[in-house]
Amino acid sequence: MLQLIVGQLLNGIIIGTLYGIVALGVTLTFGITGIVNFALGAFMAIGAYLGWFLTDGLGIAYPLAVPLAVAITALIGLAADQTLFRFTRNNLINGLIVSIGLISVIQSLLLLAWTTTPKNMHYVLPGVLNFGWFIVPKMKGLVFLILLGVILATYAALTRTWAGRAAYAYAQAPEAATLMGVRTRLLQTGVVVYSTALAGLGGALYASLYSLEVSMGSVYILKGVEAAILAGIGSVMGSLVGGVVLGVTEAVGSLFFPQAYRDAYGLVFLVLILLLRPSGLFGAGR
Amino acid sequence: MRNCRHHIDRLCAGAFAAALFLVTAAATPVAAQEIVKIGEIEAQTGALNTYGWMSSQGMRMAVDEINKAGGFEVAGKTYKLALLNPDTQGNPQQALIELKKMLEQEHVRFVFGPFLTNVYKGIEPYATGFDGKFLLMGGATAIHFDLGKPKHDFAIRTWNWDAGASGFGSLMVANLKQRGAKKVAMLMQNDAFGHVARDIYAPLFKDAGIVFEEEWFEPGTTDFSSVLAKIAANKPDYVFPGYSDAVLYDIVHQATELGLTRFWLVRGSLGPGLKNKDYLDDYIIYIPKYFEEAQNTEPKVKKFVADYKAFYKTDFPYDQAPLCSSSCYDHVFMLVEAMKRAGTVDDVAKVKEALLSFTYNGLWNIRYDATGEEVFNFDVVDIKKGGKIEVTHIAPK
Repeated sequence: MLQLIVGQLLNGIIIGTLYGIVALGVTLTFGITGIVNFALGAFMAIGAYLGWFLTDGLGIAYPLAVPLAVAITALIGLAADQTLFRFTRNNLINGLIVSIGLISVIQSLLLLAWTTTPKNMHYVLPGVLNFGWFIVPKMKGLVFLILLGVILATYAALTRTWAGRAAYAYAQAPEAATLMGVRTRLLQTGVVVYSTALAGLGGALYASLYSLEVSMGSVYILKGVEAAILAGIGSVMGSLVGGVVLGVTEAVGSLFFPQAYRDAYGLVFLVLILLLRPSGLFGAGR
Repeated sequence: MRNCRHHIDRLCAGAFAAALFLVTAAATPVAAQEIVKIGEIEAQTGALNTYGWMSSQGMRMAVDEINKAGGFEVAGKTYKLALLNPDTQGNPQQALIELKKMLEQEHVRFVFGPFLTNVYKGIEPYATGFDGKFLLMGGATAIHFDLGKPKHDFAIRTWNWDAGASGFGSLMVANLKQRGAKKVAMLMQNDAFGHVARDIYAPLFKDAGIVFEEEWFEPGTTDFSSVLAKIAANKPDYVFPGYSDAVLYDIVHQATELGLTRFWLVRGSLGPGLKNKDYLDDYIIYIPKYFEEAQNTEPKVKKFVADYKAFYKTDFPYDQAPLCSSSCYDHVFMLVEAMKRAGTVDDVAKVKEALLSFTYNGLWNIRYDATGEEVFNFDVVDIKKGGKIEVTHIAPK
């Protein structure tokens, strides 16, 4: 049993980084633009379908297809920001409505392009790493390392570069940051585009692990928001931890309780945490 | 003035009579070639389209062939078919809407489908309101349990999988026992068919002395690692997995990574097995016909494959074609034959009686038993490690 638990702890951590990358997008967008972008799940689906299409459809090598998919997703994110989100800055309700509407538009376009039939990418990196006590599929391990690297790099960029510190400053005191020369519009656009790129990256990597269908992002955006709330909105590293906690709760919970209700285990954990710490695990207390 | 008016009236009456004659004369050839509307409610797209897409493909071909041949004659009149086959996407609500349109607006008397139990469960209460007014010919396992029930004369089951006296549920369990299996783990979608499958197979396994464990997953699940790890810990001899390609690709891939390499009673296409052929030991899939082999040995199958390519101007879908055994190509020809034998295209009771009275030799040898359940020959394909395929042909008596 211990072997099983350890194996699922690891599996939960790996899946949790996928939740974490979406949570990071949620927390960054909310911190800088004041909106919860529920369309990030749909952007993840865009990244996933592009990753699959570029690789299996156009024959581009997967390591090249992933950055291409991310770049195209980011461009679509830029277009969405300039045509839609630009007009909803710091307006939670309007932003929410626009992002939910955008989900329908993106899903419909994906349906038009690739129908509702699930897509399966060829195996990019088949096989498993056997550690004796437990095994890790090679591709899952690689996806985990890439996502972990991106989250850590984002954290480093936010804390060790001028632009990152400017973003933090703006999130804490927008007017003061503006007075100090922070280019607000550029910063907000940059964050929205970066968040969609993160979602696109999560999607392109997801495509190498699982089957694709157009509504796949809806599960991940819910998990992402859950993870962000669990961690406390605004915490970059908290997004990773929140995602991992959620992933582990679901994976280990499914060992002891029916798999059919795995989504509920994370939610129960979230409710418990919020009862004890209303501002989340890493959120600033009042 | 009055005379003038009188002349005009006579002129109008004459013109009206002439027009009436012309309209009647023109209408005569149309009346000689009337239309019989047939409907189909199947998923042509969506996660569960494996169980509907091929049916719709084959049905279009059959209708086209019958119409191009000049239609068919019943009681001295020549009829052509008009096919209404909207896409339900496997959604019970959508299927219900389409069925309502067919029965209430289009007055369709013969509807094919659904293949999916959850869709059938969604339309069944409504369909009972039209009992005696139409026939519903679908493959859904749940239809088996309604055959012969009051208010269910409309139901005909166009498959014999799982349940049924001539079905293969018990045969397959016996076959599994012969392979030395002592423990089987079912991993099924938490939906209507999943529970029907459990209700059918749990007693069969118990009777065969095979330990049976069940695990469930929600629709939309893509990561099965946790539940598969739990299953793997119990070391079953075979995994009896979910029923559509949408989840089978993920389940089979993730299961082989955990050392679960034997799969039993897989349904859907050969695709998930062939994609993972290098990682599995045994992938027993029960398919109605192994077309790759049959096209070399059966002339009707060879012709069907060639006709399909010509009709759709695309490659033949070998992975999907076996599912044409339910509410598909043969079944349209069978319905037409039944109408001819019954001498009516309207009286559904007579057409049903005729339908249940003969064996049709098409791509499959199809007949219906006294309850209205299809009996047909099928194949068992066993994919071994590396992709080697063994086929067993089974013809129920």
